Amino acid sequence: MKRRASSFKADSGREPRSAFGRSRLAYALLTAGLLVVVFPFVWTMLASFKPEGEIRQNPPTLLPAEWTTSNYTGLFERMNMGTAFLNSAIVAIALVVANLLLCSMVGYAFAKLRFRFRNTLFGLVMVQMMVPAIVVMVPQFVLIAKLGLVNTFLGIVLPFIVAPLGIFMMRQFIADIPDELIQAARVDGAREFRIFFSIVLPLCRPALATLGLITFMTSWNNFLWPAVVAQSEDMYTLPVALAIFSNAQATQYGLLIAGAVVVVAPILLLFLFLQRYFVQGIASTGLK
Amino acid sequence: MKKKYAMGLLAVALAATACGRDSGGTADEAQAVDTAKASGTVTVWAMGTEGEKLDAFAQRFEQANPGITVNVTALGWDVAHDKITAAIAGNATPDVSMIGNTWMGEMVKTGAIEPTPSGLVDQNAFFPGAWGTGVIDGAAYGIPWYVETRAFYYRTDLAKDAKAPATWDEVTAFAKTLKDNGADLGVEQNFRIGSWQEVAPLLYQAGGDFQADGKWTLDTPEMLQALEHWGSFFKDGLSVTTQPNGAFPQTFVKGRVGAFYSGPWMITSMEQEGGAGFKDKFTVAPYPKGPAGGTSLVGGSNMVVFKDKPNRDAAWKFLTWLTDPKVQAEWYTTASALPSVEAAWQEPALTADERVRVFGEQLKDAKAAPPVPTWEQVAKVMEAELEKYALGKQDSATTAKRMQEQAEQIGTGA
Repeated sequence: MKRRASSFKADSGREPRSAFGRSRLAYALLTAGLLVVVFPFVWTMLASFKPEGEIRQNPPTLLPAEWTTSNYTGLFERMNMGTAFLNSAIVAIALVVANLLLCSMVGYAFAKLRFRFRNTLFGLVMVQMMVPAIVVMVPQFVLIAKLGLVNTFLGIVLPFIVAPLGIFMMRQFIADIPDELIQAARVDGAREFRIFFSIVLPLCRPALATLGLITFMTSWNNFLWPAVVAQSEDMYTLPVALAIFSNAQATQYGLLIAGAVVVVAPILLLFLFLQRYFVQGIASTGLK
Repeated sequence: MKKKYAMGLLAVALAATACGRDSGGTADEAQAVDTAKASGTVTVWAMGTEGEKLDAFAQRFEQANPGITVNVTALGWDVAHDKITAAIAGNATPDVSMIGNTWMGEMVKTGAIEPTPSGLVDQNAFFPGAWGTGVIDGAAYGIPWYVETRAFYYRTDLAKDAKAPATWDEVTAFAKTLKDNGADLGVEQNFRIGSWQEVAPLLYQAGGDFQADGKWTLDTPEMLQALEHWGSFFKDGLSVTTQPNGAFPQTFVKGRVGAFYSGPWMITSMEQEGGAGFKDKFTVAPYPKGPAGGTSLVGGSNMVVFKDKPNRDAAWKFLTWLTDPKVQAEWYTTASALPSVEAAWQEPALTADERVRVFGEQLKDAKAAPPVPTWEQVAKVMEAELEKYALGKQDSATTAKRMQEQAEQIGTGA
């Protein structure tokens, strides 16, 4: 596994040079594609510094004709951004920790342990991926309400502590770990937990990084569930708090756009640091 | 084997859904309220701007009523519907919530909302159209909090000497005048999301309604008349369907659009969009009258109290306070929400602006959308068919027929 990770790195070091020689056209196309993808984002960033009227001006401007930070100051004045930011962070970090631990445990069981109905159970887990979240929202809320967890962090977090996609990813990854390693540990007298924590988990680092990143992102952007469970403003996460500005008649785009930039910033930072795992994750889930 | 498990899963899911409240609470008995010794904490949900501003506004109520605390949670309109329905299903509602008045039928049908205690408020104090939004199967629920209605906006500089149109025929001529005086098109008509709100007043003005005797009536001669009138502006090139989404309201500011129908919030929006001096360039007139009068559509929000709450006395006391004419006028200056109580319109805050007064007059002749649980679904269907009609893909008869067929399939939720 480790070998694969390093070969990936070597590839990416070698490829650009040769590719450049081969095809300038490819690069021109890629650049065009990049512009198409990046442009709306750049526009958003710039728009967050425009006054409300200019945002909706037709024809639109790219660079703000009049630079202003009033959207940001307005945002922080009218909303308790600090609390919302903290809440989002607590929820996201709790979910990342829970998912890393639980998904890999379940994934390990499905990949390496033999028990009755293993495939059926795995099938059931997969079936959940097909059910749209909105369908189960109300029953799920009733359950959380009966447990007395409405308006608590636990209530916001509980339904997502182990995700089917995470189980699937971890199972596929762990299945590639040679059985001999595990058998050797067993022969040496290690119990399942010991095998899992000392041998399997350290080998899963690339997959864990990817899973952590995906979980963080999903949680950070999650809107509907936290919005339904959090019943007082001091429990609101960022997207939920921002939604107050979207009005039936007069949406305040300046505030919303500034808010969107604030929400996206941490994800962007995270991505810059963990980019390698991100790409790797997409490659590994897609190919197997 | 797999199939069996899937069935089991489905059964569990169904059982979980069934845990909600028993539906069908139509035989509700209104219980008396003792506001004298009311105390405790009242939790309130409110949407958007109202939600942001109500908490501070309610402090005056708290000062006047020691022992009662009002806790307001603001929610976004986007999530409000899902949040309230989920809260009802999970029996985790607040004491009081703001409810968009087209949702009233649906929410009351869940059986979670208390009927309005008799004698608590005088129903004649409210605009009849607004009070009607809370009356379901003959019983009243909650109170109308603020209202909005639609009227006719136009550019005074483009109209020049032309008088505001008083009838349907005059609107067409008026729109032509605006066009002759430099507007690219006469009147902006929305044919996408929310387009039913454009057609509803016309239907009322033609003498029709969405429902009669508990059945949908979307293919009546009156509906055809309304559709023909609405569609004629597209056909005559006085309204267009080729503008990009979101071009309006800037098109009005630039003078490319001469007129439009909308609610009171557009006064402030337009002043903001247009910048300094623009407020002298447009005004508001009541709806031009159709064959059966000039009835407009009334919208807005109600405040309701949920059942089985320990602090219901305090909750109702808060609602009563919100409908005091003076408080309603103050609320207008705070959140630009129009008073549902007629007497509040005598307050200086509401008589100052001529354009706002037009809405006050229009509200006396305004009617709500049918308060049935399935209204939102039927409104969606209407929007889809109206768009096809506006784009010229089907004629008025087909549009009416299709709306009626689909509405019948959806039913009235009775």
